[in-house]
Amino acid sequence: MPLLQSADWPLLIDLYFFLAGLAGGAFVIATIAHLLGGQRNREVVRVGYYLALIALIPAPILLIMDLGMPSRFVHMLMVAKPDVTIGMDAINLGPLHLKPFSPMNMGAWALLGLSGFAFLAALAVFLEDTKRGRDLSAFKTTVGVIGGFFAFFLAAYPGVLLGATARPLFQNGKFLGALFLAVGATTGAAAIALILSFLGQEGTGSLSRLRRITVPALLLQAATLALFVLTVGMSGGEGAAQSLALLLSGPYSLTFWVGAVVVGLVVPLVLEVSGRQQVKPGLVAISAILILIGGFLVKYVIIAAGQVVLS
Amino acid sequence: MARTVAMFTDVSLCIGCRACQVACKQWNQLPAEEPEWTGTYQNHANFTDKTYRLVRFIEKKDEKGALIWHLMSDVCKHCAQAGCLEACPTGAIYRTQYGTVNINQDICNGCRYCVSACPFGVVAFNHDTGRASKCTFCNDRLHNGLGPACAKACPTESIQFGFRDELAAKARKRVEELKKMGYKNAQLYGEDQNGPLGGLNAFFLLLDKPSGYGLPEKPRLPQNNVFVDSLLSIGSALLVGIGAVVAFRERGGKE
Repeated sequence: MPLLQSADWPLLIDLYFFLAGLAGGAFVIATIAHLLGGQRNREVVRVGYYLALIALIPAPILLIMDLGMPSRFVHMLMVAKPDVTIGMDAINLGPLHLKPFSPMNMGAWALLGLSGFAFLAALAVFLEDTKRGRDLSAFKTTVGVIGGFFAFFLAAYPGVLLGATARPLFQNGKFLGALFLAVGATTGAAAIALILSFLGQEGTGSLSRLRRITVPALLLQAATLALFVLTVGMSGGEGAAQSLALLLSGPYSLTFWVGAVVVGLVVPLVLEVSGRQQVKPGLVAISAILILIGGFLVKYVIIAAGQVVLS
Repeated sequence: MARTVAMFTDVSLCIGCRACQVACKQWNQLPAEEPEWTGTYQNHANFTDKTYRLVRFIEKKDEKGALIWHLMSDVCKHCAQAGCLEACPTGAIYRTQYGTVNINQDICNGCRYCVSACPFGVVAFNHDTGRASKCTFCNDRLHNGLGPACAKACPTESIQFGFRDELAAKARKRVEELKKMGYKNAQLYGEDQNGPLGGLNAFFLLLDKPSGYGLPEKPRLPQNNVFVDSLLSIGSALLVGIGAVVAFRERGGKE
């Protein structure tokens, strides 16, 4: 067994990954809803863009709190440094640096980018709400499409970041980025649905459309989770089997099977599919809450199990 | 770039005196730590933020069942392709003109990504300073024409310092000698620049397979995963995008 150490990222980081995914998912769904009929999907666009911004507000705070040197958080993006080699294909633009093979560096840029676009999108929705603005549809399209790429990136990069470590559970599995992106989509859709279900009757058309994205996204989440577990199990990497056992049958198995699989995937899928004909806001809310809990737990439990130092 | 330097640690010569560990602590002004019982004479179980050189005391049994010691003075490998350096989001970890890998303490912001990214478990987080730390290859001594303190202190020349090409040639000769003497498992670890991680600038001569010393058999650069993981993420994004388009498209007046 190779002797490895662990960053021991705490719950703060899990929470950040969850919010980043949720914000990314909500932003993308709002954008697509806007592009395919902004008026009909008005409620989804409105809630989605507001939600993306609100979810992103605590994100940098969580990250900064976790740093050993919080005052240096800006070093993620820029720092006056000597002209030295800092990695493959690294780009230095004055004090700014972009490291394509450091997902944490790329993610910091994506967080900055999406924060800006989410602010602009929420501002557009706000101006329309207060009827002070003219028709801002074209502006929302531009902001939504460009911001959408940042949103996808922000939802997926934490998985890629974990994959680019030497931790056996993360390194030997593929699909962590794909899984995190799917979780972003399901939690983003669930959070929008939860809010709409409280808004009453006017949201039911939107709720049924949201269900049509939630069900395939949950299936994608289940598939990528299964593929992740399979690729770790079949990798034969040093320490892979032991760290996978922690997740599937060890101390984290209860959270994994009950929290991530049953609560987060099986029950919501049954709830979403069973109410096929009619949308009941109460059931939608319950299903959405379960998806949100499961979406957090699946990220938490993989990160926790993968960070255990084996001996 | 100056000629690449290296450290060659020949475990067959190590007597476990820990002069290297002490010299490292003294030169780098690393404070003492509470000793821990690891089951052997080894202290500590692994590298810490205050222990950059670590003599491993591995107890084994030979064919006749008698106790034998495998001693190995372990250190940061200063990989030619370094996982910590690639992971670092701030550019604090950099390659020196000598080919070694160093952490600029004035830039590190304590994100700890490098700690998880090191394939050898070398980089440790210092809770007092809030920054990552590891062997510097005695960067200050290097700049003043001195070798690292550990190599200077080693009484048996188990740790040797020099130019990489010269040391590698020496190591290849030494491993042949040992094989002739009957050490069947004698092997070099990290000497081959075409091997894993582009070769290690601190390489080893081992008397057992690498895993016997707690080293990975096939260390991999973690960032090799970035490309495939990103492609799979894009695939996932496309599926979500298509799903959302299908969900929100106009359905011929059905609604």
